[in-house]
This record gives sequence, C-alpha cells and structure tokens, in this order.
Amino acid sequence: MNHSKQVLVVDDSRVSRLMSHQFILSKHADWQVIEAATGEEALEKVKTVNPLLILLDVNMPGMGGMAAAEQLRALCPQTHIVLVTANVQNAIRNRAIELGVGFMEKPITETRIHQLIESLGL
Amino acid sequence: MVNLSELENDALVEIFNIGVGHAAAAMSEIVNEEVTMSVPSITFLNRADAAALLGSKKDGERICGVSQHYDGAFATEAILMFPEDKSLEIVRLMVGDAMPLQELTEMEQEAMSEIGNIILNSCVGTLANLFDSELHGSLPLYHVGTSAEILSSFGGHDDDAVVLMLHIDFVLSKHQIHGYVAFVLDLSALHDLKQQVSRYLAKVLGQA
Amino acid sequence: MPDALHRLALLESILGAVNLGAIVLDEQHRIVLWNHWMARHSARQADAVLGQDFFAVYPELRHKRIDSAITQALRDNFQSLLSQTLHKAPFALYTHGAAAGGNDGEERMQQAIAVTPINLPGSPRHCLIQINDVTIAVGREKLLREQTMVLRSQTFSDGLTGIANRRHFDVAIEKETRRAMRTSSPLSLLMIDIDHFKDYNDHYGHQQGDGCLIRVAAELAAMLQRPTDLLARYGGEEFAAILPDTDAAQALRMAEAIREHVAGLRIAHAKTGNEVKHITISIGIATQHPQQQPTISALIGAADRALYLAKGAGRNRVMVQSL
Repeated sequence: MNHSKQVLVVDDSRVSRLMSHQFILSKHADWQVIEAATGEEALEKVKTVNPLLILLDVNMPGMGGMAAAEQLRALCPQTHIVLVTANVQNAIRNRAIELGVGFMEKPITETRIHQLIESLGL
Repeated sequence: MVNLSELENDALVEIFNIGVGHAAAAMSEIVNEEVTMSVPSITFLNRADAAALLGSKKDGERICGVSQHYDGAFATEAILMFPEDKSLEIVRLMVGDAMPLQELTEMEQEAMSEIGNIILNSCVGTLANLFDSELHGSLPLYHVGTSAEILSSFGGHDDDAVVLMLHIDFVLSKHQIHGYVAFVLDLSALHDLKQQVSRYLAKVLGQA
Repeated sequence: MPDALHRLALLESILGAVNLGAIVLDEQHRIVLWNHWMARHSARQADAVLGQDFFAVYPELRHKRIDSAITQALRDNFQSLLSQTLHKAPFALYTHGAAAGGNDGEERMQQAIAVTPINLPGSPRHCLIQINDVTIAVGREKLLREQTMVLRSQTFSDGLTGIANRRHFDVAIEKETRRAMRTSSPLSLLMIDIDHFKDYNDHYGHQQGDGCLIRVAAELAAMLQRPTDLLARYGGEEFAAILPDTDAAQALRMAEAIREHVAGLRIAHAKTGNEVKHITISIGIATQHPQQQPTISALIGAADRALYLAKGAGRNRVMVQSL
C-alpha cells in the first residue's frame, strides 16, 4: 500500500508540536504529521499508524520521553526514533545509544528539523 | 491580572523548560552526574501572593535566594529560590560534601550564587535569544531570609509589580528538589514581555 | 593629545599593578589583553598569547563552564561567576609564580572567576575574564571546618541536645558493664526511640524537629535522677539510658514512667498516621544479671530487639528482651 509518509511528533507543549509540524511540512509538504501530547498517547497512536519517524520530547510529565522511547523501540523496530531535548548531557546521550535512538537538541528550529530529516536519509 | 492566551502561556513554559534544560546540562557537566530540571508550570502573582506561596510551607523557614538584575529590552529582577535546607542539599550534592553543618558556609554561598547564575542566565538567555532581544545581566547576589523579605527587597516602591513565578523541579542523584524562579516585573516590563511572546508566536507559527 | 595618552598610560599601569588576573577576548575569542599578574602566575608571557584563540591556548577548557560563560558574555551580554567551590582550579596558575607548568609539585591556586562583557562604542563586544587567587580564603575555611569536626568528636556532649553523645555512651557502657560484673550487680539498658519522628520532621520541618529532640532529651534527662544513670543521644532520634544497679523489674517501672511522662507532654504531632496525635516514645529494655557475662553487643542487641518489638506491637510502649 502506498501511504503518504508519516511522522509522529510527541511533546507536551502545543507550541513545540506546532513548530515541529510546520517545519516538517516545509521540507516535505506531502508528508503527514501526527501529534501526541504524552508518551501514553504516542503508544496508542502507533497501534493504528506506522510512522517512519518519531520525534520524542524527553521532558514530559507522566511516562516521559525516555520510557516511551524504550517501549516504542520495541513496538516499532523499523521506525527512526529521535529524542528531542534541551538537556544534552552524557547520561542521556549514552542512554539514547543504548536504546538505539537518536537525539536532537532544543530549541526546535527549521534548520535543525531539516538537517535531521536529511541526515536520516528521508 | 495578565492576559496571556493558552498558546502564549504554553510558549513561555516551553521556553523556560528549554532554559532550565540547558542549565541542567551545564550543571551535569560540572558534577559529572545526571542532572535534570524542568518547569512544570508558571504563574503570575502579585508580590504578596508570591511571598505567601513560598512562605506557606513551614513558618519561619528561611529561603536562600540568588538574584540577578537584567535590563535592556525589558527590565526585571530574577531570583532563584530554594528553602534553606534544600539549598544546603543542592550545594552538598554538587560539591560532594557531607559536612553536618547547619548553614551554608561562605564558600558554599558562592557555589549557590554560581548555581543561580547558571540557571537564571540560561532562562533569560533563552528568552532573549528566541525573542531576539538585547539585554544586560548583572552578577549574582546571595540572600537568605523569609520569602517576604527577599521579594520585597526589589523594586520596593512599586506596588503594581507582578511576579512571574516558575515552579522548578531539580533532580540530581535521585534527590528531587522543588524550588522557584521569580521574575519581578513592573507594568511596562510585563507589557513588553507579553508583546514579545505574541511577536514570537506570530513569527514561528504565523504561516501555519 | 597628552591628556588622553597620559590617561592611557595610567590605566595600563593600573592593569599591570592590580592583584588579579585580567584577560580580555575579542568577539572571536582572541586574546587581546593579558595583564602582568597573568604572566607572573601562569607559564605564559603576554607576547606568547596575544592574538591567539583562547581555546588554542587552553584547549582543555573547551566545552567547559568557562566556554559557555564566554559565549554568554559575547553573545548575550551576561555576566557569569565561576565559584571556587564548584571549580577548584580551571586555569594552570600557581601562587608562587609559574615554575614551568608547576612541575616543582606546587598545586594550582584556587580561583574565583568572573566573566564580564565589555561594550565599547564603535566596536564589537569584548569579554573580560577576571581571576582572583582565593587559595588562602579556601584554606582558612577548610581549616575551620576541620577544627570544628575535631572539637565535636573530642567532647562528650551532643551538640544539639547537650546530653551525652554517642562517644560518651560507648565509653560509659564499657565501664558500667565491667563494673556490674565486678560488683555482681544488675545493669539495665533502655533504648528509647521517638515514634514517627521522620514524619514529624517532614511535616514540621527540620528546625522544629530539632526543637522536639531538644525537649524530649531534656524531659528524659529530668527523669533519670540518679548520679550513676547516663542518658545519651544514641542516634538521630534514638536515645539510650544506662541504668547501673537496676534489675529488670526496676528497669521496667522506670521505663514505663518515662514513656508515660513523654506521652503526657502532649507535644502535637499531626502526622502519626493513627489517632494518637502527639509525640510518643517506644522503649526496649535489656538487663544484664550478675551471673551473666554477656558482651556489650549482646546487651545492646537485646535492647534493640526489644525496641523493635515495641515498634512492631504498635509503638508508645515498653518491651523487654531477655539475654
């Protein structure tokens, strides 16, 4: 089946989600961006959609990005998962490597989003 | 008191979360351990309510505050505040000390001042950068006293002052510590801030 | 213009004479000023570093706190402080001059650093790094703390409550157990613990928690009137009472009186988790009889076990454990 390419953006900040959404579409206008506000919501979404990229805010109430990443990594082995955080430190970097996920630094800018998409070959 | 739309409030919370995130990364680099910080929420209060918010926990409990003055595109007094025993805890965790002394020594007050310097510069810096504003910041000053004492020592005569209060969650070495960052704003600074937030949102989301 | 030149010469002299390090960087991190103090205390003369990238001269400082402080000064116009407590000695500087990198074994000087933006009209922003030698101040404070700790450990009094401390208890229990055996008399030990004290501290705060400890200690001390009895602070909220010439029945009577007295103080405690909303204590008793020759740890262990049983049975009570 030929679905349009989908990106799942997970962030408790609506402004963040809107920004990511917009910057993704400015690179690939034909892609579909799905939003989730929490880790739990993200896990629900992937039951019905199969995104090729998931952007996960680390700093979220409830489940949090790290825990969600671990579960999503198991549920969606083919999907590119990228942690998004302003707090780039060794502990988080190492955990990302262990989980097999990437990360991107906040603040979210159009340049960073475009560079990320390019670097993933998408 | 303050008319911020939900989106504007969200934007400010997110900006401050980015600020404390950067600060946490900086502190983690200093102690070589995992440090996380977040701003779960922000509130706008008048000075009296802000003092009550901080003072309500335990009567007579002292607060340690680190303040810095910023001016330029807008003027504000920014103050990082933790209850005294929590300040002790943070500094002892950062310094790796287990001395059973009841107060921060002078050297530890300097350490607390630097911690305040890192967090406040990070918060205000992120704001200034995203809003494209020119500001100037001072060196940190250490205070200890009740919340009312600390908050009233700034912009004293201005009864119309509004305090933008950030709730801060600080986590180091399995210790979770709650504190606050307060920005004391007079009416014109508050107006400037609101304008900047609107402008920022229009810029990043305008096309959507 | 002689005045301007004179002023310039004056300022240069001052910068050369001040007792602190001054480094100025331009907007590209190049060193444009390196004062005499820096030359004297580092291994580098001004002409060796002027014009160079700061991070080429100090590559180990890249990505460290001072790196972001410099960025915040140049980009954001913010001032930063690097305290001596969080950063012992970022720069290789030596109090007694630079002996080629300090290989005579001298430790680096302790540094307090401030990074400040310098705004000049008609020029891009520059950045000033000021370095103060705080080795003496740090050393003095360290000495004071060590002396306090030594003094504390040398005394026999608990700093907070004024009653005997753990060190005193350890010395006394050994003395009394031996004396009891020598004189063939019974020796009783009470282990006393304030119930739900952690909850008290959490709810009312540490200052009030300390106040409670002081009060309870005073009340306990007032009840142990005999000169040979010793009340000591055994741990955080735990007390121990050594009662020489006291058999099990007498110890039980005393313990019960103490328990009742403290409960009768009605010191409010909202967070006991049960319907008794005031401070109570649990007491464990162990008695060493003349015929027995137990070890100190057996005696303490039994009293501890009794205390544990008292807690388990609902607190605010006295229990006995035989040896």
